[in-house]
Amino acid sequence: MSPTLVVDIVVGGLITGGIYALVALGLNLQYGLMRVLNVAHGEFLMMGAYLTYSLHTAWGVNPLLTLLITGPASFGAGLVLHRLLYARVLAGEAAEALESRSLLLSFGLLFVLQNAALLLWSADLKGYSYLAVPLHFLGSVFPANRLVAAAVALAVSLAFYVFLQQSFLGKAIRALMQDPEGAQLAGINLSRVHGLCFGIGIAMSAVTGSLISMLFELTPFIGLPYTVTALVVVILGGLGNVAGSLLGGLILGLVETASVYLAASDIRLIASYAVLSLILILKPSGLFGR
Amino acid sequence: MSMKRREFLKTTAGGAAAFTVLRGKAWGQAKPVRIGYTLSATGPYSVGAGITQGPNYTLWQEQANAKGGLLVKGEGRRPIEFISIDDRSEHETAVRFYEKLATDDRVDLMLPPWGTAMNFAVAPIANKYGYPLLGPTAVSNKIKDLQLPYFYALLQQPDQIMGAFAGILKELKAQGKISKIAIAYVNDLFGIELNASAATALKEAGLDVVDVKSYPLGVKDLSPVLKGFKAAGVDAFVGLTYPPDNILATSQAKEVDWNPPVWLAAVGTAFPFYRDRFKGAEGVMGIAGWNPKVKSAGAKEYFDAHVKKHQKEPDRWASAFAYASLQILERCVAEVGLDRPKIKGMVDSTEFQTVAGPIRFVKGSNVSTPGMVGQWQKGEFEIVWPKSLATGTPVVPKPAWA
Repeated sequence: MSPTLVVDIVVGGLITGGIYALVALGLNLQYGLMRVLNVAHGEFLMMGAYLTYSLHTAWGVNPLLTLLITGPASFGAGLVLHRLLYARVLAGEAAEALESRSLLLSFGLLFVLQNAALLLWSADLKGYSYLAVPLHFLGSVFPANRLVAAAVALAVSLAFYVFLQQSFLGKAIRALMQDPEGAQLAGINLSRVHGLCFGIGIAMSAVTGSLISMLFELTPFIGLPYTVTALVVVILGGLGNVAGSLLGGLILGLVETASVYLAASDIRLIASYAVLSLILILKPSGLFGR
Repeated sequence: MSMKRREFLKTTAGGAAAFTVLRGKAWGQAKPVRIGYTLSATGPYSVGAGITQGPNYTLWQEQANAKGGLLVKGEGRRPIEFISIDDRSEHETAVRFYEKLATDDRVDLMLPPWGTAMNFAVAPIANKYGYPLLGPTAVSNKIKDLQLPYFYALLQQPDQIMGAFAGILKELKAQGKISKIAIAYVNDLFGIELNASAATALKEAGLDVVDVKSYPLGVKDLSPVLKGFKAAGVDAFVGLTYPPDNILATSQAKEVDWNPPVWLAAVGTAFPFYRDRFKGAEGVMGIAGWNPKVKSAGAKEYFDAHVKKHQKEPDRWASAFAYASLQILERCVAEVGLDRPKIKGMVDSTEFQTVAGPIRFVKGSNVSTPGMVGQWQKGEFEIVWPKSLATGTPVVPKPAWA
């Protein structure tokens, strides 16, 4: 294997994996903590992407600066949605009923968001060019926009990880993930933390969308594949495990990129599901699950 | 509050009287010609459906109704009424709806859905109930194997398209402008068929294909493929693409610093969106079939009417054929009425003059339109091959990416 090929695979894998990690982190916050399987997760990514697209094309806002708008706006939307929809479903339900009800609710949300985007932006492909220039290093060449997107995604993921480890709120979230009842006995307000986490999860999805809009064309239907990938990463890394999602995303990115370079583009999905199956067989709770 | 019996009777009687009057009035007007179809407003097919077919259906309906309706032989003009739903890009939804159109709604005519796979799915139903179906977006060598006498394909098929690709590449090679060709194709029925046709056509033309790579539908990164071609010194890129991967490949070529002298791709290149997305896309080649400069009667008028109604240009390949399919139906109905076997007879035996040029069917395939190659030059998708139909001359090597 030539050194250039190794560089291609490692850098390419980290680029893909960085994006996977961020979108999976958001889903893990919702699913790992609240058992809300938000299948509309990718739809928030799509909304974030369109918001960035509109801000950039209509007013010339730098796509990276739009993160400062899509992030807080989607966080707010997440808080409102949680208060209006999910809090009611979540209140006083047994865990099993909760998962299926939240699934139904999320499916509804998926259709509402897709059709809203269809009305606002139509089904025509939309896209723009940003930093579409080659960067030469280590004997290979990479698109600047992908490197920037992955770097931002990884930075946001790491910042969130540090926040969970260091801050008081972060500790409360981890406590709830580990033992919801014990955490409540210690005085942590479950529904408030749930709301915040839902908002943060949605914001992560939307921010990923903003980054993705720099790379791919948009249609109202780009969200679902990301939800599926995020779910794979969450399962790979372990439910409710933030470091697991981060590493899981990077591993999946590396496996996919390696399979494309060493074999063919067509086996990318096969390779990623093979790795998932393998890990589930060897360690059913995920790489870092307990 | 309850309504008194007398009041109730009065209201009902009044309503019934009004109903009779209104009904009488409706009968006085011409009964609409009911035409059924599905198009994808949501799901992966919605992009193509919304560019190539939907706008032409509504444009044609508006134009016909502005004249008082569709001229039906022996009945005068009757307004066109569409009965349609969003098939959500699901084959089974489309199949069910066409079944319903034939048996329940008993529509007068049918129009096809968008895309090869969708046309394959509903063509047997149209055939079963004897509805002529003129498909402007069905591209497959297998269409003639289906043996569905009521199905017609207007677009050039893979063998013709790849014949044109091979034709222009052979000439460019003879001129010493290219030597190494590489092909990337989308790994589904469409891409596989185009690739098979390409292999034959390029081999016959004596061209050297140095690499062939496939990639899956919905691919997110084509840079490994492009880097490989670049490293192999490829100077003619041939992409057998759908629109999203076409756009991905184009943007990534620039991002990996690769600008081969010939960049030739399949579906998507002829969309005005593509031109606008890549700042003119100067020098990019693709499958062509039409532009407003072609000599066909009504081509320019069609272009202007499309822009006026939809505030967007028709694409430079299949849009005009979608409109042409409606012109063909319109002429048949005017000459033989709504008797569908008679319409079929006329479609089988007539050469039609349309905005997309002459169209004549032999065993359901349009034999009048040859495969064509176009190239974006200063905002227009000039037809550069075959020479007999050319509206411009090829510019090779293409300029640097904008």
